[in-house]
Amino acid sequence: MAELERDAITLPPQRGPLFYLGAIGLVVLMVVGTLAVLGRHVGRPFLGAIEIIQAAILLMACASVVIATISEAHAAVHLLTDRLAAKPKHSLAKLAAFLSAIFFIGLTVGGVWLAMDYWHAHEESEVLHIPFRPLRALTALTMASIACVYLYRTFRSSLSHKPASDRQ
Amino acid sequence: MNGQLDGVFGVVALLILLTLGVPIGVAMGLVGMAGLALLVGLEPAVIKSGVVLFETFTRYELGVLPLFLFMAHVCFSAGASRDFFDAAARLFGHRRGGLALASIGGCAGFGAVSGSSLATAATIGLIGLPEMRKRGYSDALATGSIAAGGTLGSLTPPSGALIVYGILAEQSIGKLFTAAIIPVVTQTLFYMITIVLLCHWRPSIAPPSRKASWPERRSALLRVSDLAALVVIVLGGIAIGWFTPTEAASVGATLSLALCAWRRKLNLATLRAALAETLKTTGMIYVVIVGALIFSVFMSFTGLADQVATLMNGLQGGRWAVIIAMTLLLLLLGSVLDGLAMMLLVTPILLPIVHGLGLSPIWFGIFLVRTMEIGFVHPPIGINLYVIQGIAKDVPLTRIFKGVLPFLAADFFHLSLIIAVPSLVLALPDWLS
Repeated sequence: MAELERDAITLPPQRGPLFYLGAIGLVVLMVVGTLAVLGRHVGRPFLGAIEIIQAAILLMACASVVIATISEAHAAVHLLTDRLAAKPKHSLAKLAAFLSAIFFIGLTVGGVWLAMDYWHAHEESEVLHIPFRPLRALTALTMASIACVYLYRTFRSSLSHKPASDRQ
Repeated sequence: MNGQLDGVFGVVALLILLTLGVPIGVAMGLVGMAGLALLVGLEPAVIKSGVVLFETFTRYELGVLPLFLFMAHVCFSAGASRDFFDAAARLFGHRRGGLALASIGGCAGFGAVSGSSLATAATIGLIGLPEMRKRGYSDALATGSIAAGGTLGSLTPPSGALIVYGILAEQSIGKLFTAAIIPVVTQTLFYMITIVLLCHWRPSIAPPSRKASWPERRSALLRVSDLAALVVIVLGGIAIGWFTPTEAASVGATLSLALCAWRRKLNLATLRAALAETLKTTGMIYVVIVGALIFSVFMSFTGLADQVATLMNGLQGGRWAVIIAMTLLLLLLGSVLDGLAMMLLVTPILLPIVHGLGLSPIWFGIFLVRTMEIGFVHPPIGINLYVIQGIAKDVPLTRIFKGVLPFLAADFFHLSLIIAVPSLVLALPDWLS
């Protein structure tokens, strides 16, 4: 976890649609979880709380993964890169961005494939009938957006800002 | 045999990618996806990755992580770290080495709301280090005690590392939290004994300070009583089954907001900063978990873990030899890999061995995180040493490492105790269940 927290030292965005989307997901998660506990202990169970929580987690996860990508905050091992000169370090940062793009393209394809397979199945949750279609679509869209961010970082002529491995 | 060879190539490829600075989650996911494509074909590999992604993003248990992170950020804004240190300093500060003891106490207390080694070392370091240096403590003791004390944050519930392990190994996060309590208490005691022994041996390294009056002590204790109540409600609630870890995290986050408001520290800027930091760290961890789960699926297809288990079971000396071999492997990996990367890499490989030996996966989780903690304070990674140096820039890294050495010895002794007496870990969850 150290690596994760170390990168968390830089300030992430505190405004904008991504921030609000993630914040809403997190607050819903917190409020529904608390109400579920209260409800259970006063004899008024909150039916479907888990389904709302799952949807909220997805909402927050999608926003947070994009935020972490934009903030160049993904955890990495810096044992070698910290000891390199600027040029090879820059090349490795590009390679890492290219490989990351491939990974997220793979996830996008997987996400789209599943969404298409289940599109006409009209999946929904059991108690509250929350439809899965928009959730699957949002997941695939998130992965595609991250892949685009990494492709942009790979192919732009020079990195105008510091790569993640620079931030200690 | 082919699958096992693919597994070996996969591990080697992963280590290369990690060394090249590819993000941990991406490296694991990419190797897992490519390996699955080789073993079962591209289409199933991509679809399986998509399944893992959606299941992870809707996983109820994973809600626990962002909520505890949020709770930690809010508690930090409420001044938790300073209050924990102040309370411990008022209680022990007048004794020789008292402020170092207070730092350990502060780390244990703040670890119980932060769940992170680095955050604990950094925040208690910012408060405790200047205080100790001002009072004439030796640099080695001051920096060493906080670097070592910071590692308590990794194991103290709600530990982020234990949550990630619980998800990967499909173990109850509540049980892991309960199992960590006795090891955390004993680890804290071991560090305190180390400080007492050091001060007894060389009294000049930690001069005594003014004794706080009882009203001063009472007021400091009163200031942390609300934070202590929060910790007790959250962890106690999980331990006695009042709520699931995710619900506990929700209640903890809500109560921490109430606590912050009660202390008149809650405002829009604080809330925004806490939310933004939580989202950013959550995003990092989700990618890591998705990648690790894809890698784990690949590992199970290769049969490498079974092969390693067979090899390990063939070792002379039986179960003990295997545990010692695992410990050495983890300590070796911990000296070249980041703690999280090490945990994600070894869990899918070593867990089947643990099952095969009839060892408890709960015990293994605590053992793994404890080994990971040791990696935080020994070179070349030793991230806590760098954090402390960031705070005390005039203290050379070698002196910080020298200061950590006695605590490292205590760590090894404590780890041996966890190995030799597994009930130290398993007694509490067994008793409570």
